[in-house]
Amino acid sequence: MVLLLVAPAVAAGIVLLLPSARAIMRFCAMGTITTATVAACCAWRTFAGGSLQAGEWFRMDMLSAWHLVLMAGVFSAVSLYAVGYFSKELESGAFSRGKAARYAALWFGAMDAMTVVLLTDNLGVMWVGIEATTLLTAFMILTHSSPASLEAMWKYLLMCSVGVALAFIGVILAAASAESAGLTGAQVLSWTHLLDAAGSLSSAHVKMAFIFAVVGYGTKAGLAPMHSWLPDAHSQAPAPVSAMFSAFMLNAALYCVLRSLALVEAVTGSDGWGREVLLVLGLVSVLLAAVFIVGQRDIKRLLAYSSVEHIGLIAVGIGLGGAGAAAALLHAMNHSVAKTLSFMSAGRIGQAYGTNDMRRISGALHAEPLWGTGLLLGIMMLAGMAPFGIFLSEFLILKSALEGGRYLLAGALLAGLVAVFVGVMRHAIGVSWGAHEGIVRNVGAGWLDRFLVAGAILVSLVLGIWPCSRLWHVLEMASALTGGMP
Amino acid sequence: MMPLVDSVHVLILVTCLLLLGSSRLGACIRTVAIQGIVAGGVLPWVSSLHISMQLLFTGVFVMALKGIVFPVLLSRAMREASASREMSPFVGYGTSLMAGVLFFLASLWLGAKLPTPDGVSGLAVPTACMMVSTGLFLIIARRLAVTQVIGYIVVENGIYALGLAVAHDIPVLVELGAMLDAFVAVFVMGIAIFHINREFDHMDSGRLNVLKG
Repeated sequence: MVLLLVAPAVAAGIVLLLPSARAIMRFCAMGTITTATVAACCAWRTFAGGSLQAGEWFRMDMLSAWHLVLMAGVFSAVSLYAVGYFSKELESGAFSRGKAARYAALWFGAMDAMTVVLLTDNLGVMWVGIEATTLLTAFMILTHSSPASLEAMWKYLLMCSVGVALAFIGVILAAASAESAGLTGAQVLSWTHLLDAAGSLSSAHVKMAFIFAVVGYGTKAGLAPMHSWLPDAHSQAPAPVSAMFSAFMLNAALYCVLRSLALVEAVTGSDGWGREVLLVLGLVSVLLAAVFIVGQRDIKRLLAYSSVEHIGLIAVGIGLGGAGAAAALLHAMNHSVAKTLSFMSAGRIGQAYGTNDMRRISGALHAEPLWGTGLLLGIMMLAGMAPFGIFLSEFLILKSALEGGRYLLAGALLAGLVAVFVGVMRHAIGVSWGAHEGIVRNVGAGWLDRFLVAGAILVSLVLGIWPCSRLWHVLEMASALTGGMP
Repeated sequence: MMPLVDSVHVLILVTCLLLLGSSRLGACIRTVAIQGIVAGGVLPWVSSLHISMQLLFTGVFVMALKGIVFPVLLSRAMREASASREMSPFVGYGTSLMAGVLFFLASLWLGAKLPTPDGVSGLAVPTACMMVSTGLFLIIARRLAVTQVIGYIVVENGIYALGLAVAHDIPVLVELGAMLDAFVAVFVMGIAIFHINREFDHMDSGRLNVLKG
């Protein structure tokens, strides 16, 4: 486990010494996959044999292991994809060794920061990790320096720094709540100790801490109405960065909210107060994203709003608790797979057409068979089409809402999902079929790219079709950690 | 009553009002430097009964950071964008001051709600809340990117003061990590301002409005 925390930092150092952009990108992929493999092994051990502990500060339980698996998958796939993506950029002169070194060093840095967030047992360290991801990834948006990307970066930097600074008030209040319970030293910020002492914590403090944590980390997770940085950053960053942002960084921030939820649930005796907060924010996110998706013109902004929608859905699922929370964690995995595929394909199609404007992209299936198929299937997955994983998890979340007797919520959610479905599919059909006008640069596709697209489709199919009882068991154990539910 | 501690709190409150009312960028940078020194360095020393090595060390560190490093960075960013030294606010100075008074009343109310531990001045929580709300207001109501960074620093000062008031036991490691993050944040924002200025010939964040929908 310690290796997981050290390896990316070392890799970030090595990157700066490598001679050429191609070598850097290859090393980046290899390093990421090696680290991801170690991470997956650690997670496997946790699934099989329970929590791992490393010193006083670090600890891995089911919930962090589940997110670690997500992270390993997303980072490996995207780093492989980046090799092809940036070699195209190298040919056109938009990418250089200096930019590659900066990109790869920040990539490993961000990976390290997110690992710290997932593995730490300490609220304060978790906060430091999230803030560090903001600062490290800000310059990744700026890989192609342009006025629009600067604007996006500035919004991202300012909104997330200030938002996450508010989350630190939550950390302080949580520490203050521990004073009445007689915890001292590093214990006041340790999840394990706080949860053990939940009965004697000051509940007013913990509730306030939760509100600040939701607002702060929710900004970074892209929950509406704090999401406004997200479409800009996602649309202006290069495709591998957008994919990583959307498919994992948002989940990492949401993970912090889940940890805070566990605390507030334990303190209030599972009366559902914290869950209601998440339900409301999640529903607002879904509905608001639906409105923006229908009228969207930029393909990457479309995918960004779809992230707001899916993060909202995850929040709703967690808010429902019980089977809904387990389904929400499954949904997180499904969404990451589908979103990685969509952003990868959208990035290459954007390169081929020289634009992200969907009004000027048509006939992608014919012009770029592999990426066109990837994008079409990716968007179908995101819309919630039947054989894929997202359909299953959306269905389970809705089912759990109906079983809980929340008909109004289920109705509103369903309306939002239908609106998204229609909006998204209308765009996808326009992009995929029809005659393509203008010049299309053939971006081609190597065996690695075919492997990535096929792999993502396969994983999503398996998650949608194969009812694996072991997986469900893991999900239930992990979701139980977000707080008990009657 | 703790006259010394309370007068330090009043001093901080005055700096908040100064920030809201001043129209010159240079004056703002100096004010935020003074506020940083007082809130980050002096306040912990006067408000704790026995001074430990840890307190001494972090105090000196914070004073150096907020009193010297940040102002130098900000002044440099200001010089780079020599076009405008005026704050060019979205909200006028008189209105800002009125908002400041409202913030203060709200902070007093909030301070009464949040129980402070024994031995902490009754003004501690209101002062911290005042700083946080002033900082957020500056970020929203002023145009220049530099002013938004100033707002961020004021929020950061406020959070630090809040931590001092309600939670004594935050481990040093976390505190140092948080401070390091704040430092890097300001640094990164400084670089971003440099890029914005070079690319656009201005640093008016009100005109960064191409990306919509």
